Amino acid sequence: MYAALFLAPWLLMYVVSTMAMNHRDLFEKRDAPAPKPLGKEREVSYNGSFPEKADARMMGRQILASLELEGAFQVRREGAALVISRNDLLSPRRITYTPTDGKVVVERMPNPPHAFLEKFHRRRGYDTGYGVDTVWAITVDLFIAGMIFWALSGLWMWWEMKVTRRYGAFALLAGLLLFAFFVVTI
Amino acid sequence: MKFSDLNRRAHLYLGLGLLPWFFMYGVSSIPFAHNAFFEAMDKAKNQPLWKVRLERQYDAAVPEDPEQLREFGRATLKLVGIEGTNFGAFRQGPDQVNIYSYTFFNSTQLKYFPAEKRLRVEDRRFRWDHFLTGMHARGGFEQKGWLPSAWAVVVDLFCVASLIWIGSGIYMWWSIRQSRGWGWVAIASGLVAFGLFVVLL
Repeated sequence: MYAALFLAPWLLMYVVSTMAMNHRDLFEKRDAPAPKPLGKEREVSYNGSFPEKADARMMGRQILASLELEGAFQVRREGAALVISRNDLLSPRRITYTPTDGKVVVERMPNPPHAFLEKFHRRRGYDTGYGVDTVWAITVDLFIAGMIFWALSGLWMWWEMKVTRRYGAFALLAGLLLFAFFVVTI
Repeated sequence: MKFSDLNRRAHLYLGLGLLPWFFMYGVSSIPFAHNAFFEAMDKAKNQPLWKVRLERQYDAAVPEDPEQLREFGRATLKLVGIEGTNFGAFRQGPDQVNIYSYTFFNSTQLKYFPAEKRLRVEDRRFRWDHFLTGMHARGGFEQKGWLPSAWAVVVDLFCVASLIWIGSGIYMWWSIRQSRGWGWVAIASGLVAFGLFVVLL
């Protein structure tokens, strides 16, 4: 019970985001006519140098640190430019570094509620290299263990209550049959 | 019947009826959360993921319109004997169109190269982690046909049931006076930790 109360916000987030993803077409249709443009936040000069043989990821990490925007990110090269997508949950940003003139442009990306929820749902953590993401990933593992534990303990608790065994068995059997039907036919 | 009894029954029977989904979402989250581990494990087998089923000459105009492209995908799948599956058709560039067909057990991709008038059909090797993650990620009402829509309706039902579990669980906790103190500690610490993640992630 206490684990469930502690993890209730995780369950709530996963449930609400699942509903948003299940009805993604509604949100996409609504946003399709006029996608929001990126808002320019700042433009700065970057004078730092990179270690020899630094790859794009290493360079991205260094640029983010200099901007005090450290955290999970993806990086890609677009011609000579380095484009960093900083996966900040509340304020996702695109950071473009152009080595020819040493300029760094920081732009805020649109973050409508359904996109925020979907990003939160898909958030992983172990491979980002940032401590807070690793801790998040551990809580996700805890939540997974909690779900499996709730399912098994729920079964046990139902079996312990003799008065509900019959209707419970009917509900369980109906669920299993429906699930098996979907597994075979879809 | 008192409200507390109704609440407990709803909590129990909804839980039992949707237990396979609850269990599936829980177990299938493991390969999502530990993707690198499962990929490394599969890589160690040293087996190709995709196997070419057939390669043939094919000449068809590729439509620009997304709806028509989808119909093109449906017709091309039918040509190689695949019908009634979930699928998607995507342009990879001017010289390639990919059509993906997927069921819980099988995945097939068709690659059409219009310039070469060539069609390649590849089947994906079965993997348990893909089976589970495919089931986990299935949803939405974009696919035609009653079966995918029925699954999406059950996903919605599962979400509503989960909201009821949260509400009914909190009500049941509140009914047990001696556990209120530690319950508050659990709720407050969960909210604070979660709030911190929202801000810091």
